[in-house]
Amino acid sequence: MQILLVEDDHALASALQEALRQQDYAINVVASGEAALYVISTDPPDLVILDLGLPDIDGIEVLKRVRQKEHDLPILLLTARAQVEDKISGLDSGADDYLAKPFEMEELFARLRVLARRLNTSKTAEIAIGEVSLDINLKTVSLGGTELELSRKEYMLLKSLMENAGRVQTRHTLESRLYSWGEEVASNALEVHIHHLRKKLGSDFIKTIRGVGYKVQQP
Amino acid sequence: MKSIRVFLVAVILAVITLFSFMAALKGYNSSMAEADSLFDRQLQETAQLIANIHPKSTANNIDHESSFAFQIWREDHLLASSLNAPTTLIAPLAPGFDYNNFAGYRWRTVAYFDQSDQYWVVVAERTDLRYTLAENVVLESILPVLLALPLIGLLIWAIVGRGLMPLRKLADELGNKQADDLSPIPYGSSSKELEQIVLSSNKLLARLERSLLREKQFASDAAHELRTPISTLKVQIHNLRRELPENSQSLFELTATTERLGHIVEQILDLYRTSPDQYNASLTLIDLTALVQEVLAEEFSRFEVKSQSLEFDGQSCLISGDRFALTTLLLNLLSNANKYTPAKGQINVSVNETDGQVVLKVEDSGSGIPEQHYQAVFERFYRVGGDRHQSGEPGCGLGLAIVERIVEFHAASIAIEPSSFTTGTAFLISFPAVQGDSVSVPGRLHNKLS
Repeated sequence: MQILLVEDDHALASALQEALRQQDYAINVVASGEAALYVISTDPPDLVILDLGLPDIDGIEVLKRVRQKEHDLPILLLTARAQVEDKISGLDSGADDYLAKPFEMEELFARLRVLARRLNTSKTAEIAIGEVSLDINLKTVSLGGTELELSRKEYMLLKSLMENAGRVQTRHTLESRLYSWGEEVASNALEVHIHHLRKKLGSDFIKTIRGVGYKVQQP
Repeated sequence: MKSIRVFLVAVILAVITLFSFMAALKGYNSSMAEADSLFDRQLQETAQLIANIHPKSTANNIDHESSFAFQIWREDHLLASSLNAPTTLIAPLAPGFDYNNFAGYRWRTVAYFDQSDQYWVVVAERTDLRYTLAENVVLESILPVLLALPLIGLLIWAIVGRGLMPLRKLADELGNKQADDLSPIPYGSSSKELEQIVLSSNKLLARLERSLLREKQFASDAAHELRTPISTLKVQIHNLRRELPENSQSLFELTATTERLGHIVEQILDLYRTSPDQYNASLTLIDLTALVQEVLAEEFSRFEVKSQSLEFDGQSCLISGDRFALTTLLLNLLSNANKYTPAKGQINVSVNETDGQVVLKVEDSGSGIPEQHYQAVFERFYRVGGDRHQSGEPGCGLGLAIVERIVEFHAASIAIEPSSFTTGTAFLISFPAVQGDSVSVPGRLHNKLS
């Protein structure tokens, strides 16, 4: 997969380039907003990692200009500004995800995996964690090779948990995935779905964090 | 606080009153002197008149209550007198005016010696009655001033008020300014006397704005300048991991030191960003429970690494707060609980609403804080046991100082108590609750944290 890294700090750019190359990503580095816009228009990458603090054009501005032409290009923002407002303005301007410096490499890889999966290439459409594998294209789930019968809500719940494996999903987040605005939700609806999933997947696959939410262990 | 207006009105009224009375007193005195000589002349003439008339015939015409009295003496014999005069001598038999007391009054007396008939005529006039007229004249002149004083006061009040209008306008202008509004004060309509004040204030505001901007710029620059190299260090450590043996002690130390460096930088930036003059956050309605759940979900992995059990209990509770600050507060409390609780320990977080207070409680089964350190832990760079903290955990002692600031900023209160486990500490933070139906969020609490 082709990644364009837009980062003006040379030391960080070359370190990242090395780290991503080891993960079998093909990576190009540019150090300015102008250069980034040029590369994206002439040789569009599969994914962009964009630093907000660029020397020529503000990162948010670069993001907006890219979005005018490339609606589906996944863009991950990287920034030293960790203020909530910056995060919101970044996501409002069309970024797919946001990572504040300093970040853990594992975190960056995880975010890249999620973004790559959205590209819907056959290679990344399957999430496999332990015995459980979920195919995003076919919307099927199998346990040890045997396909399972899941309701639509159970599937959506499991997909959300597996896509974010290793990260706790709050009850609120999961409920908002399952139900649209205004839909009446019984207070224990989420527990019921999780209970059903556990019966099908085994009780250890989904971990409860009491009072907070649920998580699926990272592979 | 003294009001210039009240002061001016009081002083001017006092001066007017003082001078009116001084003028009245002077008028009274000169009127009295004038009246005195006038009445004296009349008295003298009366005496002469009585002397010229046959003394016996006039005796009974003057009654007891009259303001006049007279006696006619020849040597030691009282030839005639008015009814209200005693039989004794009412004034010494010497020519000229005098004051004497008889019949319960004070009298002005004059003795007149009639050369042709060789007898003394003594005439007396009651002093209290003779001045009534003079007093009336003087009173008539003072009374209007007295009656007019309240009116004059009102007039002065209005005039002074009008005169002080530019000052009041300026005061309102300054008073209405938001604490973080550093725009210059308009002074188009102000008076000449205020111009210098306005100009100087504007200069001061401009200087303050420039320096605040510089500091804000510094914070954001520092953040960028420090976070990017720390990121580089982390990425390079990740890359090194491939090249070095798994259990490399140097790599372990390098990782720990980088973590610590990153932590200190974040803490200093947090402390700086939450300082009262920098912190320019807007308070919004926040469901504290939802926020706590989000933060706990984000931070769960660090508890998982130490096999600590993390539990949360709480109902949706609204408070008025700043999301960024509250997140920072939670992160600091959770980080402490995580660090100072041994592996397999228990951390409980709860949000409860009681008596109009939303109480956030973070308690752990860690080593606990000795009670005598409860206050000191909020000081900057303070750590229980100093740098040789028994947990061996790295830290810079800024976390709780940041927490305390955020607590103050939210008009909340913080308390430390022993946890409900056998060991450990509980931090309780009480926020004023906001009722769900009243969406009035208190204004900017930006200013003046002591």
